[in-house]
Amino acid sequence: METLVNLRGVTRSVVLPDDQELHILRGVDFEVHSGDHTAIIGRSGCGKSTLLNLLGLLDVPTSGELDFQGVPVQQLRGNARARLRGSTVGFVFQQFNLLQGRSALDNVITPLLYAKGRDFWRRRELAMDMLDRVGLAGRARTMPNMLSGGEQQRVAIARALVRRPRLILADEPTGALDVETGQAVMALLDTVATETAAALVTITHDANVAALACACYRLDAGVLTGLNAGLNAHETAGVGA
Amino acid sequence: MTGFVSTLVEAWQELRINKVRILLALLGVALSVAALTSVVGVGNLAREGMKAMSERNGGRTATLGLSVNGPTPPDPARLEKAYQGIVSRYGITYSTHVGQAQGGFQFPRGVQQVQVTVVDPGYGVIHRVELRRGSWFAADDAQRLAPAVVVSEAFYNAAGRPDLGRSPTVKITGEQETTAVVIGVVPDNYPESPPMAFMLGAGATLAGIQPTHSDFKVWVQDGQAEALRHAIKADLQTEFPDMYADTYRMDYAANGDPFAVAQLAVGGVAGLVLLLGAVGMLNISMVTVRYRVREIGIRRSFGATSGRIFVGVMMESVVATAVAGMAGVMLAVAVVKHPWIESKIAPALSQYPAFPVEAALLGLGAAVLVGALAGAIPALVAVRVKVIDAIRF
Repeated sequence: METLVNLRGVTRSVVLPDDQELHILRGVDFEVHSGDHTAIIGRSGCGKSTLLNLLGLLDVPTSGELDFQGVPVQQLRGNARARLRGSTVGFVFQQFNLLQGRSALDNVITPLLYAKGRDFWRRRELAMDMLDRVGLAGRARTMPNMLSGGEQQRVAIARALVRRPRLILADEPTGALDVETGQAVMALLDTVATETAAALVTITHDANVAALACACYRLDAGVLTGLNAGLNAHETAGVGA
Repeated sequence: MTGFVSTLVEAWQELRINKVRILLALLGVALSVAALTSVVGVGNLAREGMKAMSERNGGRTATLGLSVNGPTPPDPARLEKAYQGIVSRYGITYSTHVGQAQGGFQFPRGVQQVQVTVVDPGYGVIHRVELRRGSWFAADDAQRLAPAVVVSEAFYNAAGRPDLGRSPTVKITGEQETTAVVIGVVPDNYPESPPMAFMLGAGATLAGIQPTHSDFKVWVQDGQAEALRHAIKADLQTEFPDMYADTYRMDYAANGDPFAVAQLAVGGVAGLVLLLGAVGMLNISMVTVRYRVREIGIRRSFGATSGRIFVGVMMESVVATAVAGMAGVMLAVAVVKHPWIESKIAPALSQYPAFPVEAALLGLGAAVLVGALAGAIPALVAVRVKVIDAIRF
């Protein structure tokens, strides 16, 4: 299986206003292969989102090595990282982050505006296909504020997958949804990721969501440790977002 | 190719989505551009009007007045010979005597004393005389037995507005009662002006009208005016060594451009108007970018490069202000070219100049500049947005 992302001894720290250094991630070793479905759990403020930002090329490590499809990320300039991110990574956010004032279809089209060639010229057709796959073809012209939470997240999933990314990064994808809707959304995300052979990395504090993953990791005080697959609710007790 | 088209598509999408906000911002820009273009257009019209009035009074640029004075007046024949010698020596095409006199004219309501300006045919060109009807004097009009007369609109009205095609006559009373032919009508110098008339020197002599004092004017090229002024003065002084000969500029531009200060003031007002428009647009753009921080972050997460974000934000502003600029220029043209506005701004003109192209280009250029400036600063802010923070905004 192809290694998409490889982190070796990655640290991420920031300097606080009082000149003290805050270490968010400490010596993280982590690999994501194509087709993996991985969950990362941890308490609020433990560095989950920072790790996701590094995986999604939104940020660079303070030290350590991060290779993306075999290319050291530190060697890439901002625009090169942006282009690689656009063509390879799809994001699903907790708050959906749909663009207001644009229909569901326009939201799904948006990532294709940064694509080249056929994907750009066929953007409407591709977006409609993806909305159809998430069961929202009939709601293509509907504005986000007229959609339910579950529907909004399905639009966000369609938008994340429309450029057929190799890596899908989901940050608390069910955090703003009720249990039933959350399960339905995760099932959809899992199915579509499997169909497109994309790797799925989910950050969650929901035991049921984490249990869907093939591999599960716990992030605690910036240190990432592997857990056994098939995590149950008991093991995640006390883990908050 | 795809990159350029996709940037345009993105900018258009933004304009379409935010049409109310953008329309409001553009309304301000369109009004600013309309004000700027109107100020320049009105300034230009006023300048043309003032210039026409000045040229009508003092002559075109550059008009030289010649005079010879002494304890006793110079011999008229000798002075005339000296004037004609100067005209032929320096190849001057247009020259004229200008004398003022009074003449009694018979109107339907009785005889009325009228101010008569005694001139040569060159006066019409030098003073840019505009005719409402008929024609100005030709050289052979001096040979007429019935002298030709060009009258003002007030004179023409008092005479009962006769048909000029039928060579209407008017009787000049006095010691030598003469019948003159009205050949042309000029506009009044100002509203409610009394009747006035122009006659050639030969015609005035026939009618017994003698001007009390006569100037001699020549029209020369602006660049040669100063050199000719000195040369002509020296020539006259040589001809009349015991008298004081003088040559002087009579046109409005004699002491530099009198409209320069007005033009500068108009330019200053226009600049201020533009600055206000730019600040308004910049304000709205800055607010808009802050409002769109999250959206910019989301777009960056989809792979939008910083250059693409910069061009996108900038393009929205430039495209929008260019459209607003066109609307503003059209509004300004409609205002400045309105007949009522034209008649109030430049009452001295009978034919108004076309709307100045430079004012239209200035308005459009200013709109694009405002768009670029008002777009560049928010675009820089947008580029500096940290993706992670923006998404969580």
